[in-house]
Amino acid sequence: MRKWLALTGVAVTLTVLPGAGQTPAYRAPRAADGKPNFNGIWQAVTEAHWDIEAHAAAPSPVLELGASHAVAGGLGIVEGGTIPYKPEALKTKQQNFTNRLKLDPEIKCYLPGVPRATYMPYPFQIIQGPKFIMMIHTFAGAVRTIYMDEHKEAPADSWMGWSNGRWEGDTLVVDTTGFNEKSWFDRAGNFHTDALHVVERITAASPNHLQYEATIEDPNVFTRPWKINVPLYRRMEKNAQIMEFRCVEFVEDLIYGHLRKQPTK
Amino acid sequence: MRTRAVVLGGVVGLLLASVPMQAHHAFSAEFDINAPIKLQGTLAKWEMINPHSWFHVDVKNPDGTTVTWMIEGGSPNQLIKVGVTKTSLKIGTELVIEGYQAKDRTNKAVGRNLTFTDGRRVMLGGSAGQAATPDPGGR
Amino acid sequence: MNRRLFSTVRLKPDTTSMMAIGVVVAVGWLAAFPVAGQAPVPRAANRNTAKPYVAPRTPDGQPDLQGFWTNATYTPLERPKGVTKEFFSPEEAIEVMKKAALEENEQTEPGTVADVHYDFTQFGLDRSQGAMAVNLRTSLIVDPTDGRLPPLSEEGRRRAAERAAARKTRGGPHDTVQNEPLGSRCILMDRNGPPALAGAYNNDYQIMQAAGYVMILTEMLHDARIIPLDGRPQLPPNVRQWTGSSRGRWEGQTLVIETTNLTDKFAFQGASENMRLTERFTRTADDTMRYQFTVEDPSTWTRPWSAEVPWKKTIGPIFEHACHEGNYGLYNTLSGARAEEKRAAEEAAKKGSLK
Repeated sequence: MRKWLALTGVAVTLTVLPGAGQTPAYRAPRAADGKPNFNGIWQAVTEAHWDIEAHAAAPSPVLELGASHAVAGGLGIVEGGTIPYKPEALKTKQQNFTNRLKLDPEIKCYLPGVPRATYMPYPFQIIQGPKFIMMIHTFAGAVRTIYMDEHKEAPADSWMGWSNGRWEGDTLVVDTTGFNEKSWFDRAGNFHTDALHVVERITAASPNHLQYEATIEDPNVFTRPWKINVPLYRRMEKNAQIMEFRCVEFVEDLIYGHLRKQPTK
Repeated sequence: MRTRAVVLGGVVGLLLASVPMQAHHAFSAEFDINAPIKLQGTLAKWEMINPHSWFHVDVKNPDGTTVTWMIEGGSPNQLIKVGVTKTSLKIGTELVIEGYQAKDRTNKAVGRNLTFTDGRRVMLGGSAGQAATPDPGGR
Repeated sequence: MNRRLFSTVRLKPDTTSMMAIGVVVAVGWLAAFPVAGQAPVPRAANRNTAKPYVAPRTPDGQPDLQGFWTNATYTPLERPKGVTKEFFSPEEAIEVMKKAALEENEQTEPGTVADVHYDFTQFGLDRSQGAMAVNLRTSLIVDPTDGRLPPLSEEGRRRAAERAAARKTRGGPHDTVQNEPLGSRCILMDRNGPPALAGAYNNDYQIMQAAGYVMILTEMLHDARIIPLDGRPQLPPNVRQWTGSSRGRWEGQTLVIETTNLTDKFAFQGASENMRLTERFTRTADDTMRYQFTVEDPSTWTRPWSAEVPWKKTIGPIFEHACHEGNYGLYNTLSGARAEEKRAAEEAAKKGSLK
């Protein structure tokens, strides 16, 4: 009897242990339609919102903000390290960087675009259903609709693009086109045109984090497609919620101040 | 019934007076009621954006130079619901625009009437016939 | 100088085409009516055999309110003066809607303020080209029963006077961006509320339900409200937001949303930041939802007041309403006002130098 139990014990153990070099994939709880459940409040924890390439700490372009708005150094989220710009496009990027105080759309409370919205330093909420998956971001209340059921071409260009999504096993694959040319990838002036095409792959890696990868393509700007990789962490505090960030009010004087009526003498 | 019709008319008039309409005054603040324009030109770009879409139209001056006018139209949201897309209206299409010029006297105007050169309406046709052709659907 | 570059004779819409619009409109709306839960409708068959509608259920057992909806309406918030009854007859209501639709489609007169506008009908933005629930009510306000806002409290009167006085000191409507309406600035619109009230166009919403949450996406400003249903407390009292803090729960078939923590910057119908709003969503048919709301604000009104408007199912998609990003109009309005002042100043200087 004991020998038999010992044998079965070993057998059970053997089937559970992974083979050499492999980690068992995490299996997320299912939503009602049998798909992995990504509902929740998520946030990237990186310095990529400053610059998606690896970079050292650097001063803020605004003197009065001193160290509060200085650039924190970061390891970057670009696979391979460098964004493969065409030579002319790299010059544009450098001009963007030099003039970022005037040109960065984030400063004017413009919608952040994709994938920048994903790694902004604020939480976003996923509301998931079989036909639509919504991503609702803190910054400017930006909303992305991912069409899971009926896939159409983008009817017109937009800041957040037109997203068609599908499941490949347990990975959510989101194919987005229909971007305008106006958003940036970060505060360092990394940019694109309206030919931008982003394919995101999102997989649950543990109960409280998602693995997020995006392939970025724009033949007007880059010599080849390139990828970014960034974990998305679940906001764990009780009663976490997305707060309002209606920043239009904060930037009106910046944008329209020069059109104010001057007092007559 | 005559009595009922009179009552209805009165009621409807009052009802319509209190129905909240888009702030027309905002437009007559942006565009000059005393500066009507009529232009003809080719479509260079249709910005299908909110809160209002903008048609960029290249207009030839008598001296042969070309100037691009920005013509304000409506939100594209309802058009998109009936299948109109950014390819429905072809670049290079000849358009006739009647409207009012911007108060700041730049080459901007609100497009009161948008037609093709044959008089058909550019967007939804109403009783005037077909206009911008909705796409039959995605690939 | 008034230069007429085009014919002043506008084609009046011919009777046939107007009738055509009327018929199309009536057919579309008639299909939606009668709206369950409103005044008794003279359809005997309905009354005797009608079972109360039960909405389908979401996978976690909640009434399913999901889909695209519109709250477009011709019904005003307050009952017009001279109208005393609470409900139109079905025939009267259809007549009212038909007439309003025809007026919306009418050509405007050149040289009038109404003419300084793009043509709604070309863009499908007139309400008769979209879905709309038939509403037999003569006002959206149902309580007080006279269909009008209740009297202001003493504090409400005082605040209204203070606000009016403050408006007088801030200059003209186009002196500075902050003097422009919130909608022109792309900060907040009637559609957003809360409560959600329709405007002239783009009155669409998308509702989604996930475990523990309801999401309401408002077309205007592409604004998503996320309402938790887990009974958590409202935000702390010092945290005020334009759309407040909302918490939801189910009462039978009805989704109840309580909102507090508003600011006095939105001032719905003159309300204060102490306003408490309760909204109720009940699906009354496959294609109709009853939306009710109650406003409580003793620092503004002597008593709470309530309104109700039927929402109708419609189709998507809801395209990105990136209002602030595309707001050329606001820029043009301000620069136009400065240009006009400059022209007026130059004219005055010329006149002065001729003396």
